[in-house]
Amino acid sequence: MRAFTGKMSESHIGALLALSYLLFSAIFWAYPFIWLIILSFSDWRFFHAPIFSGLHNLVVVLRDPEFWGGLWNVVRFFSMYFPIAFVGSLGFAFGLKHVGRGKAFIALCFLLANISSGVAFSLVFTKLFSSTGPINNMVFSRFGFRIPWMSNPNLAMLAIALVVAWKFIGYYGLILYSGLQTIPKELYDAALLDNTPPFKRLVRITLPLINAQLIMVLVFTILVSFGIFTEPYLITGGGPLGRTNTPLMIIYETAFRRLQPSHAAMMSVIVAAVSYLLIRITRRLLEKDVKLA
Amino acid sequence: MIPRAIQLLWLMGMVVLLTCCSGGHNQSPPQAQIIKLWVGPNEAEESFWKVAVAQWNASGQGLQVSFTTIPTSGNSEETVLSALVAQTEPDVSTNIFSGFAMQLADLKQLEPLSSMPGYADLIERRHMAKLIGSWQINGTVYAIPFYSNPALIWWRADILAKYANQKIPRTYEDVYQLSRRYAAAEHRYGFQVLAGRGWEDRWFDFIALYYAASNGRAYIENDKATYDNADGLKVAAFIDRMYEQGWTAADFDAGDPLVSGMAAGAVHGPWDLGTFQRMYPETMKNIVIGPIISDAEPEAHTATFSDSKGIVIFRSSRVKKEAFAFISWVLGDEHLNLLWLQKTGMMPARDDLLRNPEFADFFNTHPAARVYATYVDVAFPPALNENTIDIQKVMTQELLGPLVFRTKTPQAALDDAASQTDRILRLRQ
Repeated sequence: MRAFTGKMSESHIGALLALSYLLFSAIFWAYPFIWLIILSFSDWRFFHAPIFSGLHNLVVVLRDPEFWGGLWNVVRFFSMYFPIAFVGSLGFAFGLKHVGRGKAFIALCFLLANISSGVAFSLVFTKLFSSTGPINNMVFSRFGFRIPWMSNPNLAMLAIALVVAWKFIGYYGLILYSGLQTIPKELYDAALLDNTPPFKRLVRITLPLINAQLIMVLVFTILVSFGIFTEPYLITGGGPLGRTNTPLMIIYETAFRRLQPSHAAMMSVIVAAVSYLLIRITRRLLEKDVKLA
Repeated sequence: MIPRAIQLLWLMGMVVLLTCCSGGHNQSPPQAQIIKLWVGPNEAEESFWKVAVAQWNASGQGLQVSFTTIPTSGNSEETVLSALVAQTEPDVSTNIFSGFAMQLADLKQLEPLSSMPGYADLIERRHMAKLIGSWQINGTVYAIPFYSNPALIWWRADILAKYANQKIPRTYEDVYQLSRRYAAAEHRYGFQVLAGRGWEDRWFDFIALYYAASNGRAYIENDKATYDNADGLKVAAFIDRMYEQGWTAADFDAGDPLVSGMAAGAVHGPWDLGTFQRMYPETMKNIVIGPIISDAEPEAHTATFSDSKGIVIFRSSRVKKEAFAFISWVLGDEHLNLLWLQKTGMMPARDDLLRNPEFADFFNTHPAARVYATYVDVAFPPALNENTIDIQKVMTQELLGPLVFRTKTPQAALDDAASQTDRILRLRQ
């Protein structure tokens, strides 16, 4: 064994170890992705060989108002989801930092939401918050009105943002908490000696020093915004008035209900390109190289 | 830095994958001759097919049949589609709705059944001449309807006794009166107008109401919306008034409104008879069934929507004639039609359900099923169009949405929905 490893350089061993990941990527990422690109520029309806169709699919997709509506809904979702998830996870991280006992238990409780089935909690949410559900019945008996969480065009997206935020706050919070742990206590001690008020400490010390974690959370929220499917599909079905219809739902319906997979492939490529670009821009503008002396 | 050998290996892996997976349509090795059948994935249908297939196989009339339920955890259409792409489809499949049959026929995946020997005889033997008309695509039938379930309205008899003098509502005005009284007394709703949020729910609200108002007139003809007319307006005005007055809710997701009493009436199909009997026997004792509401005369035989599924033979089948012989036997045998009725509670798609003595005993002992049987002859299937999903999404977003949220008048909502439908269907051509 020693003789065998002796002949191999460290880089060879590393490369061999990485091979499984490379193979996994080749099968489950690169191969489908190459097919996706081929289909995007082809006419294909499942049963014949793809025929090159140039930019036809692009023209069809760009002329589809439902697709544009889906992209706009991503913006709407992000504008509600990000502040809720950001403030919530930051609060969770600060809270966790100040908890004495039971830290692991509290973190686990929040993480349970993250690992629980999206289908299950979407169904529970639908029953609880229905306009004829128990919460609305209680509100009606007390105040004489009902809150149309899922049937009002403006409230429906907020309801979905709340559900998704509930799922991810614990996860994002732990990322931010790991950042908070790396900030030296001496910095806060020095700030206290200078009588720096709490808000200033937050803005001048804490947030800049957890920039890497904040960017990570921001990137995750962008990815979630482009990738949500289960919650709107089960809770609102894309309605009311198409206000919660997301690109993934449109792609799914276009491929498997309208039986137009090459249109769906082009939509996927556009969505992937837009989300990738947004993440690049976000990192370029906001990412800072933080170094503690 | 990844060594060159690894890079090469990765590249080779990619090439092998692409070569293998882009695979041509190789002929699979010949198998023993057998008819493979997929059936609807539910216990009731499975129990019927178990008996029917056993009888066929024992009779020695043709090739042996092997059946399984459609292997799906979601919807049947996706599973059938996946199987077709992977070339693992059976010879015959049940549970195919007309819009999906239209899509598959358009993709040349279905065998035209109307050109099979014995087709005309089957239609006559099963008394389907009238029903089969709405399953023809340019004069050709690709899917034969197995069952036809009229959508009707279930009412809570105890609520009707209190607020409607025990009279089953038949007209819009009846529903307004009931809703007004029920809402005033108990802050609840007279009728569940919207069946749900999905595009398929339109079959059980707007389309059922439109068929009732128009006596079964088509809502799509020659790739154009035809519901923007006086009958469509009556339905839109009814929905508008129900929401304006707060006599119905935007959703009833919390649970079945009939069980909770949140609504006095809601649209249901005959498949719910067994489910309610099992799950909500107390509620079931209080259910009375009436027609879809319209402004027709009280004694009119009101038209409605038919939730109907068909049976198809895939073009790839090597035993098409033998498969059709099996289909003809199952569909044409009255005893098996009765068995289907007994096992599933769903109405076999035939015109003579109430005239045929074979079914008399069943309907005499199942009065609720009898009500459904009386509407089979006026139950119309969905428009035969491969863009069903878009047509009904437009109904949801351009017609019902604005009425629910009171952003358009009924006429404006109808006009916009119809013109948007026409535009989409023109683009898809």
